[in-house]
Amino acid sequence: MKYLSVKSSFALFAIVCALTFGQVAGAQTVKVDPDIPSYTKVTGVSGNIDSVGSDTMNNLMTFWCEGFAKFYPNVKCQIEGKGSSTAPPALIAGTSQFGPMSRMMKSKEVDAFEKVAGYKPTAVPTSIDALAVYVNKDNPTKCMSIKQVDAIFSKNRKCGGGSDINTWGAAGLGGDWAGKPISVYGRNSASGTYGYFKKKALCKGDYKDTVKEQPGSSAVVQGITEDLQGVGYSGIGYKTSGVKAIELAKSAEKGCFGPSLKNVVGGKYPLGRYLFLYVNKKPNETLDPLRLEFLKYILSKQGQKIVIKDGYLPLPAAKVSELRVLVGAK
Amino acid sequence: MPNLWKAGDAYIWISGLALMVTLVMIGGLLFLIATKGLGSMWPADIGRYELRDGSAYLGQLRARESVRGGDGVSGSEFRVKLKIGNRDIYGLDFKWINEGDVKSRDYPRDAVVLERHEWGDYHGYLKEIRKNGQVIPGTDPEAFSVLLGLIRDANRIHERILKIEKGEIGDINYGIEKQRLKLKGLAVRGEHNPAKEAEYRLKIKEYEGRYKTSEAKLEALYAELNRNEAVMLSAGGNEKTIPLGKIVMAHRPNSMGFVEKAGFYVKRFWGFVSDDPREANTEGGIFPAIFGTVLMVLIMSIVVMPFGIVAALYLREYARQGVMVRIVRICVNNLAGVPSIVFGVFGVGFFLYGIGGIIDSVFFKEALPSPTFGTGGILWASLTLALLTVPVVIVATEEGLAAVPRNIREGSLALGATKFETTWKVVIPSALPAILTGLILAVARATGEVAPLMITGVVKLAPDLPIDGHFPFLHLERKFMHLGFHIYDLGFQSPNAEAAKPMVFMTAFLLILIVVVLNITAIVIRNRLRKKYATSAV
Repeated sequence: MKYLSVKSSFALFAIVCALTFGQVAGAQTVKVDPDIPSYTKVTGVSGNIDSVGSDTMNNLMTFWCEGFAKFYPNVKCQIEGKGSSTAPPALIAGTSQFGPMSRMMKSKEVDAFEKVAGYKPTAVPTSIDALAVYVNKDNPTKCMSIKQVDAIFSKNRKCGGGSDINTWGAAGLGGDWAGKPISVYGRNSASGTYGYFKKKALCKGDYKDTVKEQPGSSAVVQGITEDLQGVGYSGIGYKTSGVKAIELAKSAEKGCFGPSLKNVVGGKYPLGRYLFLYVNKKPNETLDPLRLEFLKYILSKQGQKIVIKDGYLPLPAAKVSELRVLVGAK
Repeated sequence: MPNLWKAGDAYIWISGLALMVTLVMIGGLLFLIATKGLGSMWPADIGRYELRDGSAYLGQLRARESVRGGDGVSGSEFRVKLKIGNRDIYGLDFKWINEGDVKSRDYPRDAVVLERHEWGDYHGYLKEIRKNGQVIPGTDPEAFSVLLGLIRDANRIHERILKIEKGEIGDINYGIEKQRLKLKGLAVRGEHNPAKEAEYRLKIKEYEGRYKTSEAKLEALYAELNRNEAVMLSAGGNEKTIPLGKIVMAHRPNSMGFVEKAGFYVKRFWGFVSDDPREANTEGGIFPAIFGTVLMVLIMSIVVMPFGIVAALYLREYARQGVMVRIVRICVNNLAGVPSIVFGVFGVGFFLYGIGGIIDSVFFKEALPSPTFGTGGILWASLTLALLTVPVVIVATEEGLAAVPRNIREGSLALGATKFETTWKVVIPSALPAILTGLILAVARATGEVAPLMITGVVKLAPDLPIDGHFPFLHLERKFMHLGFHIYDLGFQSPNAEAAKPMVFMTAFLLILIVVVLNITAIVIRNRLRKKYATSAV
């Protein structure tokens, strides 16, 4: 940045300021796309909604169910969330109607489903999550590149980092922080977040053995809240006042971007992902009214508003209208 | 000195000390849970913090700590954690503020806390009330009591809505579902019966007609609910219009006296115990979890008692004491030491998939592929726990039977009673206190279990209780909520970890309370029995 003139560096400063403020205000300025249709009630919907799957989407499903039940007072919801890997078996066995997953099904899981059902499951993206890398609120770290993240979490550094990072000094902090060891928090392997982070941030490498695997997304955040030297990953919806979501850079040259809607949709933030709802839908057949209406509700203004309430990011209108066709809502 | 050891005084001191340590630990645990949980519901004063950068917050002080320097060592400056509420405006309910950044702090008497149905608490000032198109300014001295009255009215409407939703519409949906299953049953059996089919369809039409009238009623109530509004001002000057139907409670902590606060506290506590959860369990009450826990323990007790007693009777009274019985006894004792999750896995494999699958394929064919009994439910969870606790009951009952004096049995036999009569009328009553001791232990263990329940039927949210007004009233196949799992869920899965933390402690407190209540009930019964059968040696 040496060759930048004073003026341009001021401009850069202004941009950075705008970005940071945009991010601070991010949680509240996110609005549902006004083109998404509002949900209207139909008659003849009743029964049980059984959902087994992602822990990340556990609360989202609960919120949706609460909202849906306001339209259809006696629709009952039973929601289990112990990790995305629990969704496919339950869908196959028929013990659930919806399989929330925070990652795509693996080809193995799709095959297992197809073997029983005779067709592939339908994946409906419901919302967007930015997987955030959290540090303690007192940690001065502002930004990390994916290479650095990889070197902190992975033992074989497949993303191409030069050397292992296990102190905050090696991660770029100076002063008293330089000598402090990094304490790493992560999720258990049943979690879709675990798989997604491994794929995207670790370039499919392996986690270090020192990663403290937590039973829930919220547990990761709470661990870092108490641990000054902690770092970990979780959905942006789990942010609290005790932690800080740092900015990430795809590579050192491309600049840092925080986990805001604009950055995720614009493809600048490297760890954005869809949150899926898998259903068992026979091709060329309409879903039963309960499941159809529930999906329509999620893909509506009210459903997407709930996405924001839980701290995640809503879908753009174009995507929603495409999905409404996919699930069979006129 | 050597005398002290020889006389044994030292041992008395050591055991006294050990007892004291245990008591202190139990007391400490209860104290910690009670203060962290019960304390959080107290309507704390709400401060207005004006910061040097011009922003202002209305918040309740939740924590204070010294700011850590770069080296992580605490410095001399402090910061405070405030519950600022207004999640829809600020994004988070909590905020850390350095005390150095605070320009001024005061406690305005007119600061209002609104507990809302959605988005958590709202902190702010009352600007005006819009009642039937008429505007009452917040400066009116009567404004707040008008607001309270209107909220009370709104809550009444809420109750009526709930009644219609759960009662009338619940019945209708239940009826429609039943007819639909009958229709599906015809198709599954390949029966062609147009008369019956038409009858079912007609019934569904009837129900749908009834639904329309209930729905119209509901719509009218909802309109009434959202007619009146409160216009609020946040500390930063943001205006927000809140329909009164979205408010649960309102209070002004800074202008409440101690007695008023205590009254409000009781109201809030009762709400926590008796309400359904809201907002993905982070708000509202935990009634379904309490209900589920108690019901599960009751079903478990009903199952475990006969099995445990009969097994113990056979082992002690009838079986020939030999190698075989000793092996069985060792096995029973070992069973008590098997980790609970192993029982859970057995429950899933045997009850859910095995027995449940068979029941479904025989009795609930028309509902397939969605399982009725072939999935987790309160019955399977209770049975799994019954398996888990049956060794405890067997061991305790056996001890009790062994302690019944021989001369009592012989007396009974000498009077001409058969062996069965002796056992049934003499031995068992004398051993009842011991049997109840076994039950107490079993209940205590079962109430605290979480791991096996997680896979046999407990879910995060199941506001429909396993008991309701529809035949057969007790719905054993339903999934349920449980206090132990609720603690886990709030603690590790909650989207709003900070807001849920006090609820973790509250829930833990209630769980302990329930164990204590169940145990005390059993102990009272046992003491009565002891008096009745005073000959018992136990």
